[in-house]
Amino acid sequence: MIMKKKNVFLVIFLLAAHVVVFAQNAITVSGVVSEANGQPLPGATVLVKGTSIGTQTDFDGNYVLDNVPSDGTLVFSYIGFTTVESEVNNQNTINVSLQEDTQRLDEVVIVGYGEQKRSDITGAVVSVKAEEIVKIPALTATQSIQGKVAGVNIIANDAPGATPTVVVRGLGTALGGREPFFVVDGQPLQDIRSINPADIESIEFLKGASYANIYGIRAANGVILVTTKKGKEGKIQFNFDSFFGLRSVLNRVEMANGAQYTQFFNEENAAIGGPQLQLNQRYDTDWYDELLQTGAIQSHNFSVSGASDKVNYFLSYNFYDEEGILEGNKFSRGNIRSNNTFHLFDDKFRIIQNLNITYTNETPKPFGAFNNAYRQSPLVPVFYDNGRFGQSFYNQTTGVVGFEAADGESVGRLNTAGNPVSQVFFDDENRNTTTLQGQITAEADITEYLKATARFGATQGFVKRNLFEPRRQIWLNADPVRTEAQFEEGRADLDGDGVISPEFANNRFNVRDEEFFRWNLEGFLTFDKSFGNHNVNATVGISRENFGGREIVEAEGFDVFDQPRLRSLNRRTSAFFDNTVTQEFNQSTNLQSYFARAEYDYAEKYFVRAVIRRDGTSNFIDGENFFDNFPAFSVGWTLTEEDFLKNNEFVDFFKIFGGWGQLGNANVPINVQQIRTDPDSGNQNYVFGPTQDLIFGASFGSPVFPLQWEVTEEWEAGFDFAVLDRKLSGTFTYYDRNNTNAIINVQNLLNSAAEGNFLAQAAEVSNTGVEVLVNWRDQIGPDFSYNVGVNFSTNRNRVENVVPGFDGQVGGSLNNGQITKRLQEGQPIFAWWLLEADGVWQNQEEIDNNPSVGNARPGHLKYVDQNDDGVIDDRDKRFFDNYLPTFNYGITIGAQYKNLDFSLDGFGLGGNKVYNGLANTRLQSVNISEEIFNSRWTGEGSTNAAPGADRDALASSFWLEDGDFFRINNITIGYTFNQFQGFLNRARLYFTAQNPFMFTDYSGFTPELLGTGVPNENAGIELNAYPTTRTFILGLNVQI
Amino acid sequence: MITEIRTMLLGLVIFTCLFGCDDFVEEVEIVDPTAEESGEDFQPIQFVTGVYGRHTDFAYAFSFLGITEIISDNADKGSAPTDTGADKDQLDGLTHTPSSVSIRAMWTQWYKAIGRASLAIEFTENFEPIDEGLRTRLIGECKFLRALNYFWLVRTFGDVPLQDVDLLERAPISEVYAFIEQDLMEAIAALPEKSEYPPQDLGRATRGAAQALLAKVYLYQERWQDAADMANTVMNSGEYDLEPDYATVWRATTENGIESIFELQGRGEIIAHGIQQYSSTQGARGPDGFGWGFNTPSEDLLNAFESESDAIRRDATIIFRGETLFDGRVINPGVENPRYNEKAYSSLNAGQGDGDKNIRILRFAEILLIRAEALNELGQSSEALVPLNRVRSRVSLPDVTATNQNELRLAIWKERRLELAMEHDRWYDLLRQGRAAEVMTALGFPFEVGKHELYPIPNDQLIQTPEMRQNPGW
Repeated sequence: MIMKKKNVFLVIFLLAAHVVVFAQNAITVSGVVSEANGQPLPGATVLVKGTSIGTQTDFDGNYVLDNVPSDGTLVFSYIGFTTVESEVNNQNTINVSLQEDTQRLDEVVIVGYGEQKRSDITGAVVSVKAEEIVKIPALTATQSIQGKVAGVNIIANDAPGATPTVVVRGLGTALGGREPFFVVDGQPLQDIRSINPADIESIEFLKGASYANIYGIRAANGVILVTTKKGKEGKIQFNFDSFFGLRSVLNRVEMANGAQYTQFFNEENAAIGGPQLQLNQRYDTDWYDELLQTGAIQSHNFSVSGASDKVNYFLSYNFYDEEGILEGNKFSRGNIRSNNTFHLFDDKFRIIQNLNITYTNETPKPFGAFNNAYRQSPLVPVFYDNGRFGQSFYNQTTGVVGFEAADGESVGRLNTAGNPVSQVFFDDENRNTTTLQGQITAEADITEYLKATARFGATQGFVKRNLFEPRRQIWLNADPVRTEAQFEEGRADLDGDGVISPEFANNRFNVRDEEFFRWNLEGFLTFDKSFGNHNVNATVGISRENFGGREIVEAEGFDVFDQPRLRSLNRRTSAFFDNTVTQEFNQSTNLQSYFARAEYDYAEKYFVRAVIRRDGTSNFIDGENFFDNFPAFSVGWTLTEEDFLKNNEFVDFFKIFGGWGQLGNANVPINVQQIRTDPDSGNQNYVFGPTQDLIFGASFGSPVFPLQWEVTEEWEAGFDFAVLDRKLSGTFTYYDRNNTNAIINVQNLLNSAAEGNFLAQAAEVSNTGVEVLVNWRDQIGPDFSYNVGVNFSTNRNRVENVVPGFDGQVGGSLNNGQITKRLQEGQPIFAWWLLEADGVWQNQEEIDNNPSVGNARPGHLKYVDQNDDGVIDDRDKRFFDNYLPTFNYGITIGAQYKNLDFSLDGFGLGGNKVYNGLANTRLQSVNISEEIFNSRWTGEGSTNAAPGADRDALASSFWLEDGDFFRINNITIGYTFNQFQGFLNRARLYFTAQNPFMFTDYSGFTPELLGTGVPNENAGIELNAYPTTRTFILGLNVQI
Repeated sequence: MITEIRTMLLGLVIFTCLFGCDDFVEEVEIVDPTAEESGEDFQPIQFVTGVYGRHTDFAYAFSFLGITEIISDNADKGSAPTDTGADKDQLDGLTHTPSSVSIRAMWTQWYKAIGRASLAIEFTENFEPIDEGLRTRLIGECKFLRALNYFWLVRTFGDVPLQDVDLLERAPISEVYAFIEQDLMEAIAALPEKSEYPPQDLGRATRGAAQALLAKVYLYQERWQDAADMANTVMNSGEYDLEPDYATVWRATTENGIESIFELQGRGEIIAHGIQQYSSTQGARGPDGFGWGFNTPSEDLLNAFESESDAIRRDATIIFRGETLFDGRVINPGVENPRYNEKAYSSLNAGQGDGDKNIRILRFAEILLIRAEALNELGQSSEALVPLNRVRSRVSLPDVTATNQNELRLAIWKERRLELAMEHDRWYDLLRQGRAAEVMTALGFPFEVGKHELYPIPNDQLIQTPEMRQNPGW
């Protein structure tokens, strides 16, 4: 509609152009106008510069233009694409490809229950188009756009089948859900992995509250709207896309070799009076060499699409398959999508149908193997000569690593780390998922400016997991001297009661079936009309949803058949063990919502917008109130529409905007009243009466505060600009987001009434920052065009206004009794809270004369006595920032020369600190990295920078490192063939290097450490992270 | 235009009729049982019982001994030299620190009991339906218990946070005492006398208990007239008297007897329930032993009995090696320590986990001594002799006749030591009387003036609440 209007303007402009033609040597020029990807552009305008001579391209992008002056210039233009000028120079054939203007102002942006022209937007809404997404092949679209959207921090996870984590404008909650709300074509999305990135037309990030708030109680972490493709008018298109890639570890930590390990071991044990190893050892294993392989990735995509008067159709099939860098770690996905739009009654009534079927098959492997590969001694072999897996046995008498011992010699273990290769080998697990997602939408044009929309969507998912644990083999391989006979002895039912310990089951077989279902039903009216210069758009609607319901049935048995095809809980090889079954339900949530939005502008110059959403959720029906209203408003002013700027040649577009909105997060933990009783001798009970009867009492486990959803408020203000013939454009936004009632886990203070921790809405979490996006694009001649985009964003995260005494929750457990984080007012959320390391104890005298931790020895780290009380304890810990970056940036460079295209994307962040837990939590006699070996303290005066072989495992600032990194995440070179005869239309061959380089000072595997993502858990701590990988991809795209 | 608006409104109505009803939110099928369905129906009295129950924790059997007696001149750590009892060796030698676990344990214990009392009061105040008389009484019981715990806190740590007011800010001693007095006044108004309770409620806080505690609270504040008056009120209530035989005062036979004003209850049957291991931590250690042997009466205490020729109380307080106890048990001459605390001895279940020992918190003899001390301080020395000599005559000691205020003061203090030996008051008496430095230094302990008058705020509390002030010298 809008595009049509523009076309009309253009035609009027052409007709009205008052020019003089110097038609010397008039020739006829013909050619093809196409998009950058070779797709022909029907309807593009070709005009002789300075004249009214012009034409439009046909269905296949062809044009023929007579009477062109041989020294003239042709101007090629098309709405939404950058205009190209080309000198004729007596050529009879001029082919031109136009670049799409991704920041174009008349583009339509999806904003939730409707759409808006980009130039009318008055908030931080970022749109990412299909080309950007498919440029970086990945399992999920969110991975593909890492680093592209200012203010959206996407944290990669390179494990096969893993979902990257998306954080919009900082982390605003301690305990609530952190995920943004994903919506696909209006339907709430269960899992982004179920969407084939090639099916996506655009992704809109509603970063600012004034836009996100239309999704009310689920919008606090940002809203991400995914729009899938529709058939476009034009002839039927067949598209084939295939790529193959190889994947390897990008940033590997070199571990100490056998000799270095031996030396370190001996130094360590010399300090504590332990055993020594012989210098000549039999094995020298590089565990990472043994464990890692080159992963492979492939994807095949087919789609057919097109449109007639009555129907737009789009059908696609995708098969994605990936093998990880751990042997046997696989993930594959099949995906079928069908999007059809039926136009009925002269297009007054439309039925839109979306269907998406996704199935995945996954063989996970234990990532704890990385941990064991890091820890296991290089002196331990993968296999012993007898075929058994190597373990950390060594002969304590001779000091030789191995299980062999002569009479009178004793065998011990170097450490408790396992054999990572056997760990991966024995892990036998399979996961299948099927997700069916469908939606049907009816749209009716009641009048020219009033439209009614109703839709119903549903998603059903099934997850099936089988886990097989070959206990007999694991038991035998845990110790090479164990025999089958010993295992049988363990299995012997000596007392004849038919029961033996499942420790000696041949195997364990666990089957888990999970099923979930969700649906959404909504209806809304859209009014859109202009009264002269007054443009009004209004939407009102109602929505109902049910989600979160889940049923899990898990069954387990022992002693089933080994062969995978015979594995069944009904077919067991012994009668010793009973099968067990458990069943679990998750409560589903009903959500009832009302929403209304009014948008008004005067002459596309002054904009006012107000939104209200009312949500009620069944999660809180026990409380007094389970409905809440989420208002928002925003305003904008396009200065370039004002007279004083309208004819300015420098500034093409300038708009300032500002807005405020309220968002909710209902995905929060709920307090459960905990009343403690004890039927025995608990301290709730007491004795009364002459016969001293025991009276049973009760106590409150902890006070229960009524909890509500978290409410986030946000202010934002910014401007959009385009200058220099729109070659330079960009956006600047400032935001101030505040979670006004964050739920925190309140510590049971020694002097409080609480007898356990409890939850309370007792803090605020604020996130403030700026987002800058700048794009430069230019076309030099018909053959060369390029663009450079830079985005930059900052984030300052703070916990504020905590109820006195309610902060202090510690977290970031290293699983060895040490903690690393603390929630404290005035600090970022769960900031690092550590002892401050300050050099190394050089001798015993130094230790005796200064405050030290217990058992300090020369070579241990020295810690600062912050409060000068002569004792090193928790009160000497201090804060050291946190794991969240304070700035992110991305850079995109694209260039096209004739049929050759090139792109480079980089992404970086900084201001964060990450904790090398792998190195810190080292237990005695496990391996160390080469760097740790080389930098260690070796005696008085050797170094003050790193501890010796004998060291403590306390959490301290020594292990905290800068997490800054910059990564080139994509380099692509492609070549497009589009001069085909016959049925082939176009083909593009490309080569992509993903993550070829990473620049970081971090000593571990990867500074992108999200862990579980839970801020008070292992986020930012490397304990067994999956390393970042690099991938080289060769791909071919063919269009018919 | 009008038509459109009409259509729009009609559409809205249709939408609303279709699926615009708030009831939808409540239609969700609940899969977890509600509190009603799981049959949990709690009465106020259960939470009040829970407040009492909090006083049966192990902390009273071990940490409590450390900070009330072992630290003083009355008792030694005892046990084997290698067994420190976590930090009892430090307390015994006055080398304890803010990290000593006994201090942390009692700090926590007392505050958690206060918390239970406050929560029980709140629950009881709002509960319906309930007999109003019962409601009043239950709240009174909680207030008594809360006051008792604050009293223990304030005399141990000085300024302490009032839990209901501010968890971080330490309220001045005077405010804490004002809070305690307020609670006790309300308890006195709310509680029945001991004799007014039905028999099955024996052991609950009584009006007499609240009055007795208030007398003691006045004594600690040196409000002599108030202390003397309140002690007199208890004495004239007709509810209490001295047990005839001092030896039985801490035995099972006199539990909740005529002399008992308030005690912590225990029982010996299965499920045995009382202060966990109170008897076994203090039981004889070694051959034929029945305990860990901690908190042993010191030689200094023994000498104090001897110098007064106070054989009755000496023998009722101290178990000697090789002694045959009243119940026939023979203490092996080879036990680890020369003396053990006889007041902690349980005939029925000496070495068991849950003890049957009722711990006497307030008894009538102390009220007499409070009265005596207060009157003497008020200059009414001859009146003071009456209650003092009532205590002495029970244990067949000659009357004190001194009327010189100073002389009599020392006599009363000595009487308190001997009468209430090992009853968890000695250290605080020394501090209150301003004699701790003098007494402890004379015995060779490194008492630091300006520091040891108060215990340190536990380190773990300061880690949680760094804003909180530590006591001077720590």
